Amino acid sequence: MKKECIAMLLAGGQGSRLYVLTENMAKPAVPFGGKFRIIDFPLSNCTNAGIDTVGVLTQYRPLELNSYIGSGQPWDLDRDDGGVHILPPYQSATGASWYKGTANAIYQNIGFVDMYDPEYVVVLSGDHIYKMDYADMLALHKRSGAVCTISVMEVPWSEASRFGIMSVDGEDNITEFAEKPKEPKSNLASMGIYVFTWSKLREYLIADENDEKSDNDFGKNIIPTMLGKQEKMVAYRFAGYWKDVGTLDSLWDANMDMLATGSGLNLLEREWPIYGRSTSAPPAFLGRDSHVEHSVVTRGCIVEGSAENSVLSESSTIESGASVEYSILMPGAVVKKGAKVSYAIIGEDTVVGENAVVGAMPDGSEGWGITVVGPETQVPADYRLAANHMLSKSMKEVAR
Amino acid sequence: MNGLHGIIFSYEKEPGLRELVEHRMPASIPFGGRYRVIDFMLSNMHNAGITDVGVVLHGNYQSLLDHVGNGKTWDMSRKYGGLRMLPLFADSTRRYQSEEFRGKMEALAGVRSYLEEIRQDYVVLADSDILINIPLNKVYQEHLRSGADITCVCTEQYRETENATFFVLDEENRVAKTLCSPKKPEGYHCLEIYVLSKELLLRLVDECAAEEKYSFRSDVLNGMGSRLDIRGFVWDGIAAQLRTLKEYYDRSMDLLEAKTYRELFAPERPIYAKEDDEAPTYIAPDSRCINSLIADGCIIEGTVENSILFPGVTVEKGAAVKNSVIFKRARVEENASVSYVIADKYVRIRRGSTLTGHESYPMAISKNTVI
Repeated sequence: MKKECIAMLLAGGQGSRLYVLTENMAKPAVPFGGKFRIIDFPLSNCTNAGIDTVGVLTQYRPLELNSYIGSGQPWDLDRDDGGVHILPPYQSATGASWYKGTANAIYQNIGFVDMYDPEYVVVLSGDHIYKMDYADMLALHKRSGAVCTISVMEVPWSEASRFGIMSVDGEDNITEFAEKPKEPKSNLASMGIYVFTWSKLREYLIADENDEKSDNDFGKNIIPTMLGKQEKMVAYRFAGYWKDVGTLDSLWDANMDMLATGSGLNLLEREWPIYGRSTSAPPAFLGRDSHVEHSVVTRGCIVEGSAENSVLSESSTIESGASVEYSILMPGAVVKKGAKVSYAIIGEDTVVGENAVVGAMPDGSEGWGITVVGPETQVPADYRLAANHMLSKSMKEVAR
Repeated sequence: MNGLHGIIFSYEKEPGLRELVEHRMPASIPFGGRYRVIDFMLSNMHNAGITDVGVVLHGNYQSLLDHVGNGKTWDMSRKYGGLRMLPLFADSTRRYQSEEFRGKMEALAGVRSYLEEIRQDYVVLADSDILINIPLNKVYQEHLRSGADITCVCTEQYRETENATFFVLDEENRVAKTLCSPKKPEGYHCLEIYVLSKELLLRLVDECAAEEKYSFRSDVLNGMGSRLDIRGFVWDGIAAQLRTLKEYYDRSMDLLEAKTYRELFAPERPIYAKEDDEAPTYIAPDSRCINSLIADGCIIEGTVENSILFPGVTVEKGAAVKNSVIFKRARVEENASVSYVIADKYVRIRRGSTLTGHESYPMAISKNTVI
């Protein structure tokens, strides 16, 4: 069935900079914000924007992600006509190959896109926390007659050299693109969200595939080539909350942004809901002697101890006499009696044993940083896990 | 496919629930911070591996239909079987709709064609308004093992006699005596959960219809007790019916006891509720929130103590919610305070107001009220 616009969501990233958190799952499947996973954001944005056909390109450790997405029902994407489709690399008559790069991932699925014969394709990545109306971006794309529209946001000049930077003319036509420039000419950073006119993108993907020197990557190859060929490319300015959660620090920051009223990340507003596949747990139970302040709590939490400035994900537990501060307890995490967790990320279903101490308050020293415990880890009673250290399920402890 | 089919009865019967049943039947009263009462029985059935369930409906069932939807929540949105809603339509010989619900046998006669189509050999009949987390497959196994005609779940814990049935059991759990609405409790209180074969059920339905009998308890259990092998299955866990506002309030507050919470919401047999799609709850700095059950989507800036908040409740700065049950998306504004209150959906307590009920007589506030 023909669709005007479909979305292709790049979800194959390993997320190696999330270390222990992504040992067994792809980055988009990493829990976020109490009851969500990172991929809920682009999926919910699609459904809220009226895009009902989404291809999810998976590669690295896809099991968790596949079962999480399932039929797509939580995002209202379980459709007969369209809906969400998982697109792993596959074997064809001429051989099989992994997705070599972001552009190659789409190239290998030209057949899927053609099935819907769309005018436009939205290309998204699965590692950003933000709410965006892709329909509004698409409207600009159509209005301007561009071949490619790239969503951008202003970043502080001091940070511009960390991003892919777009220079634009007076009408927001993109004139130049520079990946992590030493001396940025603009402070408009690409957010890795693209709208393409499919017939054009299709041509470029085929040409790019035939170029043996290409990395088959949107940022490195497709975008610069299009610019070089004088295609009309337009910047779509976005001013809301957006964060790339590709590192442990940024993942911690973005979770904490749920607590900072001025951050712009408000998941409680109902105009643009974020959907997720949830468990059937009962409401959170805050006990008689509990103390919970400036935190988010989620269904299934049982708190008998203390939590301050923390994100308590679904079915996480803080036993009596335990304290959690400036930390993220991922779903099912348990902090046993008398344990103390500070400035830490505690992975899914991990147990912090009695009287263990994980992480530390910032002390101004060089070596201080967020402490991370991977999923399904048993931290023994009385264990000490220092600031800026990581512990994995196999009890391998390393400094970050 | 397991060999058990579920039939749930949902009908109007408890005027004692007052404001709570203004817009709904007892089955769809919100309970426990995110559930409707019927979620318990539907989940019990799902957890016992039952895939096909018919819900016999009589009365104001719009809110119930809205809640259960296609049964997806309990994995009962199926190509074959699954969840079926069975309103009692008037037909040429009977007029159910305008009349009161007189009894289960009469209601079952009204859905006889559905009963004939049941794919399973055994049926469990249950009420929709009982709060219980019971492994029904154990009741079923016990029924098969004992070879009884009918197995009735009963308990020693519930002593209320009004409109209740009690069983005196012999040493093999056979029902030796059935007492309908006795003056004094004796033996075991019947929880109105019955397992019997489809074949026997159909025979009983036809027999009762032919003789203008309509009640399962008095006409079948009591009336045919001498010729049927009826046995009790003694349940020693939590079981509660909600018949008055006070009972509703007390059973809600019981959930704040960790033991009750852990039993009724046992993780190995979860109670499933329609997804509310709310983000996690935000508890602000300088707020106070203790001994409470808090659903998702709430914003708490004031004080919450000994209370149950449903999804999306707002408690503004300086406001206090104590000993209360606050339904979905209700709002307690700045410096308002409520105590011993049951506030229905979308209620708004305006800034500075104070509402106080009494522990023995909690104050109920109807849906959408602004105070």
